[in-house]
Amino acid sequence: MRWNSTGYRITGKADLNAEDFFVEVEAPEVAERWRPGSFVILLLHEKGERIPLSVQKVRDGRLSLLVKRLGKSSWQLYREYGVGSEVAHLAGPLGKPIELKEYGNVVVVSDLVCGHAENYAISSALREINGNYVISIQSFKDRSEVYPEEFLTKDVCHEFWLTTLNGSAGIKGHFLDVVAKLLEERDIDIIFGGGELASLWRLAELTKPYGIPTIVTVRQIMVDGTGMCGSCRVLVDGKIKFACVDGPMFDAHKVSFEDALRRLTRFEREEKLALERYLRGGAP
Amino acid sequence: MKEAVTARRVPTPERPPEQRLRDFDEVNLGYTFELAVEEAKRCLQCPVEEAPCAKACPVHIKIPLFIEKLRRYSDARTAVKEALRVIWRDNLLPAITGRVCPQELLCEAACAKGRVGEPINIGKLERFVADYAREHGIDDELLEEQLPRVEAKRGRVAVIGAGPSSLTCASELAKIGYKVTIFEALHKPGGVLLFGVPEFRLPKKVLEKEVERLKRLGVEFKLNCIVGKTITLDEIRREYDAVFIATGAGTPKLLNIPGILLNDVYSANEFLTRVNLMKAHKFPEYDTPVRVGRKVIVIGAGNTAMDAARTARRLGAEVIIAYRRGREDVTARAEEVRHALEEGVRFMFFVTPIEILGDERGNVRAVKFMKMKPLEERNRESKRKIMPTGETVVVEADTVIIAIGLVPNKLIWENVPELEVTSEGTLKVDGDLMTSIPGVFAGGDIVRGEATVIEGMGDGRKAAKAIHQYIQRSKHQQAILKV
Ligand SMILES: Cc1cc2nc3c(=O)[nH]c(=O)nc-3n(C[C@H](O)[C@H](O)[C@H](O)COP(=O)(O)OP(=O)(O)OC[C@H]3O[C@@H](n4cnc5c(N)ncnc54)[C@H](O)[C@@H]3O)c2cc1C
Ligand SMILES: Cc1cc2nc3c(=O)[nH]c(=O)nc-3n(C[C@H](O)[C@H](O)[C@H](O)COP(=O)(O)OP(=O)(O)OC[C@H]3O[C@@H](n4cnc5c(N)ncnc54)[C@H](O)[C@@H]3O)c2cc1C
Ligand code: SF4
Ligand code: SF4
Ligand code: FES
Repeated sequence: MRWNSTGYRITGKADLNAEDFFVEVEAPEVAERWRPGSFVILLLHEKGERIPLSVQKVRDGRLSLLVKRLGKSSWQLYREYGVGSEVAHLAGPLGKPIELKEYGNVVVVSDLVCGHAENYAISSALREINGNYVISIQSFKDRSEVYPEEFLTKDVCHEFWLTTLNGSAGIKGHFLDVVAKLLEERDIDIIFGGGELASLWRLAELTKPYGIPTIVTVRQIMVDGTGMCGSCRVLVDGKIKFACVDGPMFDAHKVSFEDALRRLTRFEREEKLALERYLRGGAP
Repeated sequence: MKEAVTARRVPTPERPPEQRLRDFDEVNLGYTFELAVEEAKRCLQCPVEEAPCAKACPVHIKIPLFIEKLRRYSDARTAVKEALRVIWRDNLLPAITGRVCPQELLCEAACAKGRVGEPINIGKLERFVADYAREHGIDDELLEEQLPRVEAKRGRVAVIGAGPSSLTCASELAKIGYKVTIFEALHKPGGVLLFGVPEFRLPKKVLEKEVERLKRLGVEFKLNCIVGKTITLDEIRREYDAVFIATGAGTPKLLNIPGILLNDVYSANEFLTRVNLMKAHKFPEYDTPVRVGRKVIVIGAGNTAMDAARTARRLGAEVIIAYRRGREDVTARAEEVRHALEEGVRFMFFVTPIEILGDERGNVRAVKFMKMKPLEERNRESKRKIMPTGETVVVEADTVIIAIGLVPNKLIWENVPELEVTSEGTLKVDGDLMTSIPGVFAGGDIVRGEATVIEGMGDGRKAAKAIHQYIQRSKHQQAILKV
């Protein structure tokens, strides 16, 4: 068994669109334990930040990650860590995985990179279980953003919907529009969602009157990911929960999204500064 | 006249506060050999078996004996080596305990010299021995001498967590020939000593040296490995003859008051981890940010609160420590309180926060406190009970750091139902520190709740003995069964 002495090797990498990319990292002991819903923490180098990432799937001891170039760390991973190179640290799986069981009619929705990764993981796992009918919906802004086919959930669900906001691919609209329609027309037993917190908030409001269990990933800024710092705290049903150990998936009808959304902006100024400095070519 | 002179301690040089606030370097510079000898000469040399200082030290270091070595040899190398030999019999990490033990409540509180003047500065002498030894390679020399000549293969032990309790247990076992593996969730070993206690109190190079020493003893470190997640306790038990769990009291308590989710409200653990572990004070050279406003309020008055307050001062903020009890109930080490005051940290006593007020953008604007008053009645810890006065006060602030304590991290037992846990979330152990699972031992904060470094180390040592006996006994039994 090898944990950390030599780092974690990158074994695959590809562009998904102009912002998102796929990266595959070798971490057999994490891959073996990972289950849909749990995530990993990556630390590129000794001066780096611990960044949480969802896992799309595992294969031969490798984790497949989908990442958006957003701030300094994700840009650096994209630019400087090619196939064959190593990231310094990777820990996981963290958080609570979803229960893999018969739910009935399951809807899985996503509109952002981490959500798409989870959508893939959850859809493929639940499709394998008898009695589940999995409807997977992926939303993108525009045709140019749509991922290459093998990264879409098309082949890992029973029914696939692709939407773009302007209708340039799939149907026009957002997953919220599709969900609204499905709620009226079909018998839905549970909904899993990941992506923009604002969309998940609206999803919660949409499903609440129908009383349909809605489980969403509440992304928060993390440090350790082991329940030690409280950076990731979320108010659920009036109680403080830590997204890294109690989540990251919570009952959407009980989450205080207002706080969760605001807490994502905690370090906006600093993050912007770090990215600008990096892109200018400041010392890494 | 002589009595009056020796009634006072030989002072240790400290850097002036103005200078300290500009960096994260150590505050106290420690004794030189000459100063250490001078301080050692003040010791009354109580008989070792009865020395009150040694009795009060949780691991019973033979204090008069090590002090005697400093007085006996005029050659610094010899003096330090012999003194270290004495200390190591009971404590393998004196550079750490010399710095972080609450001496004024332990060894120094009991010191006989304290009755006629100031007690012997035992902590600083201990630290001197350890530092001098490290800086002059004397510790390596001594270790070399003590290493077993023949490499015994006694068995394999897994140690979970890499805090002081674990480091001690691993070291004791490695020294008597066990193959030890430490499993640590974070990317670096050290536990609270790494992510909690700041550089200006415990330079990380001291910690690194200890870890290096363990590696030389053949201890293997598996970092980024969260037991219960990356690997299960069952899997570990199958591969090792015994297990020691010391995963600490990692989870911060947060106040249940409005405003706790505002953007600039940190737990002390988050704030300190960002700075100590992730080096956020060097942002953007390091990638992890930390935001500190101009006015910081730290809530609580333990070591964690002092560390957070002094760290915030170094990041340029004005800092107020707000505590619901009075000055006499402050639980931090006396030296840290003094240093905090010197560094311009202000204190508010008898106030308890009831709301954190935010602005329209969700940033902290002020804290609303209830004023408290002390009663004559005392609680179980013999602190005066307090009650609200009904009067409130609002204090402006743009950052709030909550330092009201920790509860045990549940990660370890959440996935292992056989581990018996108390109502406080600590692990249940017997007199030998064995948990409800045979062969699985535990110590430090996961057993005691929030305790001290030296108590955790004491547990590590005690568990090492118990583990050794346990393994030898079960090997013996297996041998009998085979016959
Ligand atoms: C459970 C979980 C799963 C995630 N899965 C993925 C994933 O699969 N793919 C992916 O691209 N991203 C994912 N994220 C978000 C990812 O962690 C952040 O995008 C990353 O930390 C950004 O680092 P950076 O240095 O590039 O950007 P930064 O400059 O640090 O941040 C840019 C912006 O990203 C947001 N952000 C920063 N840190 C975090 C964080 N730790 N968590 C959430 N948002 C953050 C903030 O809004 C910030 O303004 C996940 C986050 C969580 C908590
Ligand atoms: C800020 C602060 C300042 C303090 N100052 C002092 C002081 O001056 N003097 C003093 O005596 N005491 C002080 N204390 C208390 C002291 O630090 C603790 O009592 C001591 O560190 C406990 O040691 P430990 O080995 O039990 O656990 P810890 O030091 O808490 O170490 C536990 C380790 O286990 C790891 N871990 C947790 N869960 C898992 C898992 N599932 N798998 C693998 N690894 C895991 C953690 O990451 C951590 O590294 C302070 C505490 C804090 C927070
Ligand atoms: S270990 Fe702590 S209590 Fe014991 S002698 Fe050293 S400083 Fe004093
Ligand atoms: S109690 Fe004080 S005076 Fe007596 S041996 Fe200990 S340190 Fe020396
Ligand atoms: S990230 Fe630190 S407690 Fe969740």
